[in-house]
Amino acid sequence: MYSKTSRRDFVRRAAAAAAGIFVVPSVIPSTALGMGGRLAPSDRVVMGAIGTGSQGMSNMNDFLRLNNMVQFVAVCDVDSKRLLAAKTRVDTVNKNSDCRTYGDFREFLAQEKLDAVSLALPDHWHGIIYTEAVNHKLNVYGEKPICRTIKDGQTIVAAVKKNNIIWQTGCWQRSQAHFRKGAELVINGRIGKIKSIEVGLPDGGRGIGTPPVMEVPPELNWEMWLGPAPKVPYRGVVHWNWRWILDYSGGQMTDWAGHHIDIANWGAGLEYTGPVEVSGSGVYPPEGIYNAPVEYDFLCKYENGIEMRVANSSRLEKGMGTTWYGDLGWIHTDRGNILTASDPKILEEVIGENEIHLYKSENHWQNFVDSVRTGNQPIAPIEPAYRSISVGLLGEIAMMTGETIRWDPVKEEIIGNPRASRLLSRPYRKPWELPTV
Amino acid sequence: MRSKYIFIGIAVLLTVMISGCTGGDKIKTLIITGQGSDQLIWMTRSTAVMNILDNAGIFSTKLINTPPEGEDMSGFKPSFKKYDLVVIDYDGDPWPEKTVAALEEFVKAGGGVVRIQSVSSPGSPEPPSVTRTEKNDFEVRMQPVEHPVISGLPARWMHPGDVIIKGVPLSDESLVVLATAATPRRRGESSNPEPVILAKEEGKGRVFWTLLGTPDLEENKSLKCAGFIVTLQRGAEWAATGKVTQEVPFDFPTAADAVLRSDYAQLTPDEAYVLLSAYDVGKSTLPYLWLQSEIRKAAGNAETLMKLEKKMVGILESSEATLESKKLVMKELSWMGTDYCVPAITKLGSDERLKDDVDFALERLGVVK
Repeated sequence: MYSKTSRRDFVRRAAAAAAGIFVVPSVIPSTALGMGGRLAPSDRVVMGAIGTGSQGMSNMNDFLRLNNMVQFVAVCDVDSKRLLAAKTRVDTVNKNSDCRTYGDFREFLAQEKLDAVSLALPDHWHGIIYTEAVNHKLNVYGEKPICRTIKDGQTIVAAVKKNNIIWQTGCWQRSQAHFRKGAELVINGRIGKIKSIEVGLPDGGRGIGTPPVMEVPPELNWEMWLGPAPKVPYRGVVHWNWRWILDYSGGQMTDWAGHHIDIANWGAGLEYTGPVEVSGSGVYPPEGIYNAPVEYDFLCKYENGIEMRVANSSRLEKGMGTTWYGDLGWIHTDRGNILTASDPKILEEVIGENEIHLYKSENHWQNFVDSVRTGNQPIAPIEPAYRSISVGLLGEIAMMTGETIRWDPVKEEIIGNPRASRLLSRPYRKPWELPTV
Repeated sequence: MRSKYIFIGIAVLLTVMISGCTGGDKIKTLIITGQGSDQLIWMTRSTAVMNILDNAGIFSTKLINTPPEGEDMSGFKPSFKKYDLVVIDYDGDPWPEKTVAALEEFVKAGGGVVRIQSVSSPGSPEPPSVTRTEKNDFEVRMQPVEHPVISGLPARWMHPGDVIIKGVPLSDESLVVLATAATPRRRGESSNPEPVILAKEEGKGRVFWTLLGTPDLEENKSLKCAGFIVTLQRGAEWAATGKVTQEVPFDFPTAADAVLRSDYAQLTPDEAYVLLSAYDVGKSTLPYLWLQSEIRKAAGNAETLMKLEKKMVGILESSEATLESKKLVMKELSWMGTDYCVPAITKLGSDERLKDDVDFALERLGVVK
């Protein structure tokens, strides 16, 4: 067993280490804290994971690769096969059989004393489980998009602020050098004043029609998987493919909003605000239970005049990724180390000492662990994540209603449209409720 | 077999007579057919094409046949000038030079031409470079060009049971490729995208050219594909007028799946409403998409929204409507409904099978917390 090491202990230790140096920089380099080497078990961040499917396991593996800085002790999932796979992975690393397992997050949160938790669940569960974990004062690594509705997002943001915990969103593109470089060039005016932004996200894929109702596999707690979502018979659509059904997700658009819109906002200085007007249209599959839009195209206008177009990549000349257009040129960035500009010389520009230097992290999971230990803000805090998915969710509302949505980014409410305003939240199926903060 | 020919012949004749009677401000359209690789097959398509154009409601069509294959064509000289649009659904013997020249003159003077497949102009033989793939389901990709024919349509859509015609000479620089398609990748086969929908302006006129729509003696999926139908209707209007006034239908296919129209016609609102009342997710989800698109179309129009709301409440109150139809109606009413729908929703709360849906709707409508 490993004793719980609170964030305060880490902060204290960090301060002690930093006292030996004359200045406390905003980000304490890990070497200053002796974080580079192997840590004694008592110094490790004790973690658990709720949601141990593909993304949950992927995140857990990324944490486990951090040279023994993290000790997983408990896992939770509604699929007992996946739960066992996660336990086996943890036990193998820990060389014991002690990893505790839970099928219900409420028991997990009530019983486990942890430093941090890694959360990777279908979007319709984010509102409840993210807020509950934060209310339990756990530091959280939470997957994007952080919410299925704007109301869920507002609740999670409020909980994080109130409980003063470390929150890292799984928008790991921020921790890749080329995305940061692109955003940093843009925010320092290397393409002039930003006029517009294009964000290309994946097209939707093939449908599957409506599969027949089938028996729930014995390893799956279907009722718990559905949770606050409408009760429907099991048709074999569960892990991974839940994201093509609007009761659980908004499709490719909301899945990726937390990546490329997040990067767009980072470079354009829109991280802590939102659009004032959103309009557009979507293409919805005509047949079958997958009903998330397979194409989408909406325009967001910001107070400062910037216009951001978000569309499935087939509709955009530059395809996937983020493109900022300024009055002096453009910069485009995407996965696969893609960073291009209207003039290649722009990319050779050096950012001066007195200019804006964006937060630098080279490993998204390490950055979270470092933050938990130091108490410093990580690279992807909660509000920018809420703001990036808000753009997607407002786009979703504009497409569903067919209306131009006017949004107050300060009060965070839709202006003068009671019908659209109702789409800011989704009622939960009883007995589930969005927790209070 | 013979009776089938006769049947189709009569059907064609009747439709010609009926559509010939209507006119008014409609686009005067001459469909030319008469030869193809197999008579029954080309007649199937000609009938379909005429149905498709008639269903758009803006064309008055007349269908004529050229002389049969191998017979004297010298007398074939229709008066193009009497029409706004000439649709060429013909693949056979060369037309007389004068007829070809008259057609060219017709376009230059402002007329519209639609070519359905016809890989060579009616005056010349098929170029040797042309090959055809096997029949396949494939995806059509609209090109990122601004053009009235494809404006507002999905960028990608599934098209069933058609061939892709390769090697069509496209040296004409004024040709704009509106859509391409590639065969599903197979061993040893190139899958370069081939143009499948094209357009060009010539003089004062326009030519719309679709290479899709291969008929067969089976299901004719390629002709019943809502994507083929709608691009043909839009392309024909554009060729005749330079504009497209037809709205994008709710059932246009997407990258997710193809959509077939069994009789080439779109569901009428009445038909869609009946299907919605009988909604069964296992059968078809199309009626739900119809409802959602009607709501979107009515955006900001309180009167139309109220008409829709009343229809939706009609489903909630109907003893014959399915539980599934009531569930989806409540889901939509939960955000777009007014006080009007609340009593009907509340009443359903006593039905245990609908309790969750009633709670959902009433909570979102702000009736209960």
